[in-house]
Amino acid sequence: MNGLAGYFLRRALGALAVVLVLSLVVYATFYIAPGDPARLACGPRCNPEQLRQVREQLSLGDPFYLQYWHFLQGLVAGHDYSTGTGVLHCTAPCFGQSYQSNQLVTDLLAERLPVTASLALGAMVLWLLLGIGTGLLSALRRGGATERVLTWLTLAGTATPVFITGLGLLMLFCVYLEWLPFPTYVPLADDPEQWAWNLALPWAALALLESAKYARLTRSSMLETLAEDHIRTFRAYGLTERAVVGRHALRGALPPVIALTAVDLGSMFGNAVLTETLFGLPGLGQLLVHATQTIDIPVVVAVVMVTGTAVVLANIVADVLYAVADRRVALR
Amino acid sequence: MPHISVISRRVAAAAVSVVLVGGAAACGPKGGGAAQNGADGAPKKGGTLTVLNRQPQNKFDPARLYTSGGGNIPSLVFRTLTTRHRADGTEGTKVVPDLATGTGTPSDDAKVWTYKLKDGLTYEDGTPITSADIKYGVERSFAPELSGGAPYLRDWLIGGEDYQGPYKEKKGLDSIETPDAKTIVFHLRKSEGDFPYFATSTQFAPVPKDKDTGAKYAEHPVSSGPYKVVRNTNDGEQLELERNPHWSEDTDKERHAYPDRIEVKSGLSSAVINQRLSTGAGPDAAAVTTDTNLGPAELAQVGNDKSLAARVGTGHFGYTNYLAFNPEVKPFDNPKVRQAIAYAVNRTSVVNAAGGSALAEPATTFLPDRKTFGYTPYDHFPAGDKGNAAKAKELLKEAGYDNGLEITLTHSTAQDFETSPEIATALQAALKEAGITVKLEGLESNDYDEKVHSFKDQPGLFLAHWGADWPSGGPFLAPIFDGRQIVKDGANFNTARLDDPKVNDEIDAINKITDHDAAAQRWGALDRTIGEQALTVPLFHPVYKRLVGKDVKNVVISDWTGVLDVSQVAVK
Repeated sequence: MNGLAGYFLRRALGALAVVLVLSLVVYATFYIAPGDPARLACGPRCNPEQLRQVREQLSLGDPFYLQYWHFLQGLVAGHDYSTGTGVLHCTAPCFGQSYQSNQLVTDLLAERLPVTASLALGAMVLWLLLGIGTGLLSALRRGGATERVLTWLTLAGTATPVFITGLGLLMLFCVYLEWLPFPTYVPLADDPEQWAWNLALPWAALALLESAKYARLTRSSMLETLAEDHIRTFRAYGLTERAVVGRHALRGALPPVIALTAVDLGSMFGNAVLTETLFGLPGLGQLLVHATQTIDIPVVVAVVMVTGTAVVLANIVADVLYAVADRRVALR
Repeated sequence: MPHISVISRRVAAAAVSVVLVGGAAACGPKGGGAAQNGADGAPKKGGTLTVLNRQPQNKFDPARLYTSGGGNIPSLVFRTLTTRHRADGTEGTKVVPDLATGTGTPSDDAKVWTYKLKDGLTYEDGTPITSADIKYGVERSFAPELSGGAPYLRDWLIGGEDYQGPYKEKKGLDSIETPDAKTIVFHLRKSEGDFPYFATSTQFAPVPKDKDTGAKYAEHPVSSGPYKVVRNTNDGEQLELERNPHWSEDTDKERHAYPDRIEVKSGLSSAVINQRLSTGAGPDAAAVTTDTNLGPAELAQVGNDKSLAARVGTGHFGYTNYLAFNPEVKPFDNPKVRQAIAYAVNRTSVVNAAGGSALAEPATTFLPDRKTFGYTPYDHFPAGDKGNAAKAKELLKEAGYDNGLEITLTHSTAQDFETSPEIATALQAALKEAGITVKLEGLESNDYDEKVHSFKDQPGLFLAHWGADWPSGGPFLAPIFDGRQIVKDGANFNTARLDDPKVNDEIDAINKITDHDAAAQRWGALDRTIGEQALTVPLFHPVYKRLVGKDVKNVVISDWTGVLDVSQVAVK
């Protein structure tokens, strides 16, 4: 096995272990948390006999370790659920069935994941463009009016909650200017153009929030790199400023930005709930909040596992990009 | 109905309201508010109605829905034996026939109810609806796979107590007879004069056995109403309804079904819903909401804009927010302490905390202030607008608390403006004036629900609310004050643990009455009598303020639901 393949295998195994531990912790937390999922599924005035039947139907009477074991079995071997009139087969990896809606959790994830992925990836592109661009300008115009204005803007972006930024964007573009419709999620496969137009404002809201810290990070990292000896040497060799900045300094300043992007992108899969709610996007964040409120353990665990996987995967990609950007780093 | 999720006043406190209202003022509809109730011309068929909601229309299976009067969106798809009269105000609290020819024929002291189906009733595929389908629909609501509905069937039907539905017990319930395809007879364990009101619930909608897909039925339920489900995404988050070609106005005098198509979009924030309705851009001009109130800041702004104000509907739903006592916890076992608290409450500050006088009306009776519930005014412990601290102190002295009293008030931390910290803080301040030091115990909403409804752990004093499953005194008073409804191993709503034979007997006697007005009078009198014991302190009844899009016509708001009836709305 060559070095790179071994690297990916080790990382994949590590990722699997992290995600499984995460699922155990979340399962245990919700198991001991207050509230009774059977009662919530059964309805507010469910009587004791009905509650007993529902608890049995959802296998909630089993001890914790057995419930978790069945969950793991489903992940590996799939599971069959009774619909009353027939059997609903859940193929592996099966995350179980929602206590509240009776839907397979894998179906719920399949419906929600594209929405969140569209939101997170699009916003990431925008926040990187805005953040790195602003950071570069600030670094290159150090001490000038441009830097002061950009610093002020980035600080304002960080300080403003996404709910306010989002509402402001809605007001401006949907109400006053009427340039954009109020966003409704359109699947990319259905209509790419409408997909992009409808996501433009959510992307912008998230990007405005996130780009500020990228601008700050890029600026400081860039200033640090520009002060290094090898940059002075490049300048002494007579390289143009564009070449020094674009080819050498920026490359040296990017690794911390890549590392931060990996963490932010991964966590965006479960944490963009405010943006999703404000813009009415049926993503994983909304699903997680609703499932948490209704103690829908299979859904909560599945979303946390997906989010955890996204964070881990994003970090693996970041490590590879880190190595590409900085040749002193080797993948081991 | 202990809680209705459709009510939201979260916008009231949110800072975003300020932003929102600013927008509403500046960018209200440019063409002026379209007249309501058809004032700019008779409503016509056609167009698409958009419903913008916070909560998804989930569990869209007639067995699983917990509705009052069959619900709003569900009632477009599921016809029931009886239904609510689709008329404004008090008139809308009446029960009328739907699939049945009448509201039901009682016999044996209202223990047996017989219904005959109308002619020409069909499903969305044109197949006829039979009484066996309604029996099957009722029976499947007992299946643990399809839980979530109201508890009455299990309690009322003979053999219902431990029945597990037709999937496990194929024989079905003997207490539901279908002697022919058009007749259905229900045999109850006890007299229930309100049965016609309960028969408006979606559990009384027909379900064709050969089309039943069990737990997956919600994805495509078979319609008996004016619309059919063409798409149900994310468990009711987006619902697309189209006209059911086999529905006929000849058999349905209640639903108008003006729009050709209805699109329900949920998962939106309250601020965005109200902003979209206010702006009315594109399809939002023909939009309504069935679950989002205007907040106080928004209402203040709307008051300054005539065109917007003309688009706000006001409704009342039978609902009471109150202070609940558990008299088994000291010092609430002492009636004088309970009375002292009743005297001390400042309903003005409570109403303000609940969003102001436009969104809440002070309450001194447990029954809502509508005739249909049997509302009988009383104020046994007059606190006035600001609370009567002097009288409260006097009673505390009589109870042996000369130097005041220290108590704990349990509430939820959910920002629902019902059982939330704002209300608790307002009460804390008022009771302090009477020498009562209130320690607040805020609980996370699931924890709160579990604790306040647990017989074992019920706190001595907590914020509570109760809503009507149908507009009658019965579903309001019986679950709270009937001693036989004390639940020791499940959710207990008789928090006062009142088990008074006289009260129980009176509830039984009223349940035998099938004349709604006569029963209402007795419920009102019973409420007044129970009120003397200060087992609860009624605080306020909520008021609903809903904004509609500028092209929306024929807005009908009954006192049954308190919100606009989607089946009446036109967009042409």
